[in-house]
Order: sequence, then structure tokens, then C-alpha cells
Amino acid sequence: MMNRRNALTQLSLMLGGTLSFPTLRAMSRLEKGEVAVSKNGGFSLTNEQRSLIAEVAEQIIPKTDTPGAIEAGVPAFVEMMVQDCYREPEQQSFMAGIEQLQQQNFLSKSNAEKVEMLKQLEADTKEQMKAYQVKQTKMGDNEDKEVMKSQLKGLPFWRLMKELTLLGYFTSEKGLNANFEYVPVPGKFELIKLKPGQKLYAY
Amino acid sequence: MNLNITTDKTHRYDAIVVGSGMTGGIAAKELTEKGLNVLMIERGREVKHIEDYDTATKAPWEIEHRDHITVHSAEERWANRRFGTLASDATVEFMTNDAQNPYEEKRPFDWIRAYHTGGKSMHWGRQTYRWNAPDFEANAKDGYGVDWPIRYEELVPWYTRMEKFVGISGKAENLAVLPDSTFLPAMPMTPPEQHFRDMIDKKLNRPVTIGRVANLSKAQPWHTALGRASCQYRNKCVRGCPYGAYYSSLAGAIPAAKNTKRLDILHDSIVAEVMYDEKTKRAKGVRVINQHTNAVTEYFARIIFLNAGSMNTAALLLNSTSSRFPNGLGNESDQVGRNIMDHHLGVGANGTVEGFEDDYMFGQRPNALYIPRFRNWGSDKQTSYLRGFGYQGGANRSDWKRGTAQDGFGASFKQEMTQPGKWSIGFGGFGEVLPNPNNRLTLSTTKKDKWGIPLIVFDAAFGENEIAMRKDMMNSAMEMLDAAGFKNITGNNRQDVHLGLGIHDMGTARMGKDPKTSVLNKFNQVHDCKNVFVTDGAAMASSSCVNPSLTYMALTARAAHYAVDQLNKKVL
Repeated sequence: MMNRRNALTQLSLMLGGTLSFPTLRAMSRLEKGEVAVSKNGGFSLTNEQRSLIAEVAEQIIPKTDTPGAIEAGVPAFVEMMVQDCYREPEQQSFMAGIEQLQQQNFLSKSNAEKVEMLKQLEADTKEQMKAYQVKQTKMGDNEDKEVMKSQLKGLPFWRLMKELTLLGYFTSEKGLNANFEYVPVPGKFELIKLKPGQKLYAY
Repeated sequence: MNLNITTDKTHRYDAIVVGSGMTGGIAAKELTEKGLNVLMIERGREVKHIEDYDTATKAPWEIEHRDHITVHSAEERWANRRFGTLASDATVEFMTNDAQNPYEEKRPFDWIRAYHTGGKSMHWGRQTYRWNAPDFEANAKDGYGVDWPIRYEELVPWYTRMEKFVGISGKAENLAVLPDSTFLPAMPMTPPEQHFRDMIDKKLNRPVTIGRVANLSKAQPWHTALGRASCQYRNKCVRGCPYGAYYSSLAGAIPAAKNTKRLDILHDSIVAEVMYDEKTKRAKGVRVINQHTNAVTEYFARIIFLNAGSMNTAALLLNSTSSRFPNGLGNESDQVGRNIMDHHLGVGANGTVEGFEDDYMFGQRPNALYIPRFRNWGSDKQTSYLRGFGYQGGANRSDWKRGTAQDGFGASFKQEMTQPGKWSIGFGGFGEVLPNPNNRLTLSTTKKDKWGIPLIVFDAAFGENEIAMRKDMMNSAMEMLDAAGFKNITGNNRQDVHLGLGIHDMGTARMGKDPKTSVLNKFNQVHDCKNVFVTDGAAMASSSCVNPSLTYMALTARAAHYAVDQLNKKVL
């Protein structure tokens, strides 16, 4: 009989081996009861919210002659990252951004309207970022940084969405290979001249 | 219990080496090559070279959180995370779990640890420099700390020996401030970096050189004999190198020591105490606690090398009490745990570079530029601080990551992100820290770790000299970028930096001439317990401003040869 880890390992292989060693090791530790399951805040998304993230990600990196964000698996990546790697302030501001777009019926708008809404969101975010950075620089020297951070408002939704979409896309197997020349083992370091239309290297 | 000991059932060795990192590896190598049977004791888990570098060859998409760290892991590694980038998705399993290995802070101390085979040598920045001759005279000259009992010339043959063994890529510059090592071929500077070097030479008459880095730009026969190959320019060193191309204890010293068949390694074994024999007036061995089973075992040896990492080595001495040494082994001077030094960093400047638009690179250079100290050197005299600093940094071409802070989205934005952005350039300083007896660690009188060993309590901070130096480190970096004609220059001087963040923590069992004011003599022997040698960073009497590992290794090799000589002469 297959245990949970084997099942997950099997699943990961079917999905193209996307689970890293640390993750598998973490699963193994989880089974042995060595670590508690941590929910890391109450972050969870409805299916409608998932669709909304997918649409925003695809607006940032649309399908052209290369795959778009959705094809590269960015929406699930964004959700996982916000769930696993961000603390409550970011999770809350991320959620606030989604809810705002839901209230504006983002998903039912025309493409041109969506673009306008996101342009406005980007402009608003720039203002928010100015305030965010002022707060950052006011953080004291010997204050507990983590406590200070948790009291701050998280990075705005659009900023998180853009960063995670770019990261998720350009480091995905499809996104990276479609846009760059993947060179896992360069074997040398050379100064070269860029040729017109040359693909950049990714490592 | 699974003790990997087959050669000696009585737990008796010629030498015990506590720690498997940068200096523990060299101690084991030199001692075994000289014919001694050595037991190396590592407190953390076993990491097998290459085999256990489980993220080393993963593609970007195979690293689940793409080099970010989960909140859960970040909370466990609360101290390590102060460094920022070291504990990532790809490396976190190699970084010490601070929650399970806590310490106390009267004043903040950023303690970055890697408890496993090879220790921090698996993750180090690999920048490798000799000290210069005046570095060893600095304390005597300005009166801070105690005078070094050795001078530069005494270390030269040991520097050379280590450089050859380790393999250092760099360019000979014939500078008194930055003595040349024995080099492998230098890595090239990018065109904007060449421009910077030329302008700084012309306008400020300061040298700029390519970093001296412990990556094999051209593996030599003695490197390949150990299974090491030339650098493949992946720049993923921090994950462990499957080619053994950068130096670590795992890739170099431990295989060399194993080749002698005279090395046993014990893992998961925390040395709680060095045992002192009142009759022979020598240390007789160590008491070890298995980190998983809590089983206690004693091991015995004629000489003991302490290479546990500067802070842990001092704590081990303090925890080794006897009626002869009620305040800790070799601590009659009360200097054990004091004089914590490091290099202060997180200060410098960045700018953007116009032009060079068709310049690009194939491969990733695991190296940057080095600007040697120019302050309080030669005719330069600073009034606001003593000693000096060096800079490390260089130029890079921005990639898609710039998009986060850039306006736009959609098809044209996507297309733009596949093209290279502008060049930018930046430098960060590494400043010398003065020895100060009030910067110290002690053992907690109330709190113990889960193995019953008292927690380390840090009570240390930068002084006026460091704070004054930092202002100049930022301003001088801005001045140099300006002199080179770069634009959008911004200075930075991080205020949330504490001692420890340079991960060059040192000084807690200093060498000196006088047993009343120092812990170790000129051969790294504990003054009043001569079969105990301390050769990690704890031995340092001052800090210079260059990266310290090479000097630690040179001191270790020198002390190891001396120890064997003393054993052969039956003095020890």
C-alpha cells in the first residue's frame, strides 16, 4: 500500500518532478511528526479569486509567440508563494487587492476595460509604495525589525502580483526556455558582444 | 548509537580536532599527513561531498519557492535570516536551525551558523586575501588590543602552502597593501568594470583589482587528484559545487585527510567540554554529547585542536572548568570570550552606468572586484577613525527582475523583459573592527540548551571608531562612482547591522606575548595548557579589513606542524 509520501512523490513525478528535495524531506519530517502543520495565517482563495489572479497574471505576461503566465503555471505559483513565503501583512494586502478587483467586477469587464483598471491600479500603487518606503526608512536601529514589520501595512497587491508573476514566469520551465537560452553548465566565463535579436542566457 | 569508529575501540587518538569547517579541515589534513591518527568531531549532521548537495544541479523551476524562503523556515532560522539571502529555498537545509540552537543577546549579535560537515566553508563568499605586514603591527602601533606575537614574514610560507592547496584565482598587482598570493589565472573584468578601474587609477590614484577568489579557474594536478575540477561558471557555489571547483573543507581538506587513512570523523557529536588532567597538567580529551541520543562519550588524545568556530570555541573553553581553571580552560587572563571582532558591512554606494549596451557575458562569474584599503595608508591620515576598509562589488546588467519596479504590463512589457537592461554598479565596504574587551560573550548562568550546555550570551556592539568609519565608507564609495562618471549614485549605510553579520566573527581567544593579557601563544597553544591549540578565528588579535579565512588556514597549518614537531621531540 502506498503511503502518503509515496503518493505525493508519485504525484510529483507525474507533474514533472516539481517537488524539490527539501520539500520531500519536509514531507517526510511531517509524517514523522517532527514538524507541526503551520497554516501561516488564514490565507486561502476561492475559485473565483483564483480565476482573478490568473487573469491579472495573464494581463502582466500574456500569451504571445511564447507562452503566457497561465500556460507557465504562474497563478498556482503566486498562490503558493503568498501562502508559504509571506507574512500576514502581505497576505492581507494581497487579499485586499483581490477583493477590490472583485468589487469592481474585474472578471466580467472587456479586455480594454481590464487594461484601464490595471493601469489605474499601477498608478495608485506607486503612491502607496512611496508611503511604504517612508515607513521602511523610519524603522529604528535597535527596534525589533520583525515586530515593526508586522505593524506595517504589507506591500500592495499589484506590487506583489507583478513581482511574483515575473518570478514565476521567467523561472518556469516553459517561460524560461521560450524566452531565454538555458545554460545550466556554461563551462567558461567570456565577455561577448550582443548580436541583434540574440536570446539572453539564463542559468 | 552509530559511532563510525573501527580503528580504535578505546577512543584514543593522537589528535582530536573539534570542528570540520574551514580550519578544522586544515588541522585534520596537516596532522594526518604528518602521520597522526586524528578524530575529527562535528556537531552537526553529515553532508557528503557532491552526493548531498541536493539542490546543486536543479533548474530554476525545480527550486519550489525559487530561492525564497518559507515563513516557517525563516522563523526557525531567525538569526541566519538577518543576513538576508543566505538561507534560501535552495540552501535552508544547510543553515543552522536557530530555534533549536538558541543564544541570548544582551546587545544584538547576528550569529550565522552552518552546523554540518564542512561548516561555513560550504557557503563562504570565497574571497581570499593575505593580510599585509602592517596589519600585524596595528595593535602595537595604535595601542588597541595586544600586540600580535608574530609578524607577516612568519606566515608567508604558510600562506603560500595554503594558497597552492586551496587554489586562488587572482591577479598579481605587487601592492604592499594587498600582498599577492600564489595565483591561478584571474577572471576578467567586464567592460564597465575596466572603465571604473581605469578612471579610479587616473583620477584618484587608487588600485582596483579583480577579486581573489577560491574557485579553480584552472585546476592543477593536486586539485584533480582530490577529485576537484575547474570552475564551470554557474555561480551556484552556495548550494555546494558538484565539481568541487570552489574550495571547501568538504572538497579539499577532508578528502586529503581521508586519503591518509588516518582520519575518523564523528558526526552529530557536540563537544561539551575539554577534560583537563590535574596530574599531567594537560588536557586529556573531550566529552561529547550525541545530538540525537544525548549519549555521552569520552575521547582521548595527546593534542587537541579547537576549530569549532570562534564563538563556539570560546564557549567550549569557558565551559571546560576544573580546579586548575575554575573560569574556563586557559582563561586566567579573563580574555576568553572577549574582544569579539568581525568586519562591519552593509555600507557603500550604487549607481547606473550609461552605455556599454552591446556588452554582454557568457557564463556567470563567481567573483567581483576588490578595492584595497586606501585609508590611513601611505600618506592618507584620517582624523575621525583608525585603520581602514576595503570594498567589494562590481557591475551587472539588469534582467527581468527590474520589471517589478518598472511601469507597464502586457505584450510589449513582456518583450522588453526578455532584453537586457542597463548596467548598474555597486560597492560595499568591509571595515576593520577594533578589539574591545567589552565586546564579549559569556555563558548563561540560568539557561541551557537541550543538551544541558549553557547558552551563549552575547554583549557586544560597534564602537565610535566603526561608526565614524562607516560614514567615510559610504561617502568614499559615492565619490569613486562619481569619479568614474556613473549616474544616479545613491549611498547606503544600513543601520540594522550588528557584530556578526560579516560572518567573520573572531577574536575570542586571542594570541599574544603575555599570558596575563592573552589566551594563546605564538603557536596558538593555550598558554597554560600547551597541548590545546586554538586555530580558528578565535585566535585573532586584530581583524584587518580583508577576508580572514586564508589567515586562519595559514595559522592552522603552522600550528599543526609545530604540534607534530613538539610531539616528535616529546615536549608534548
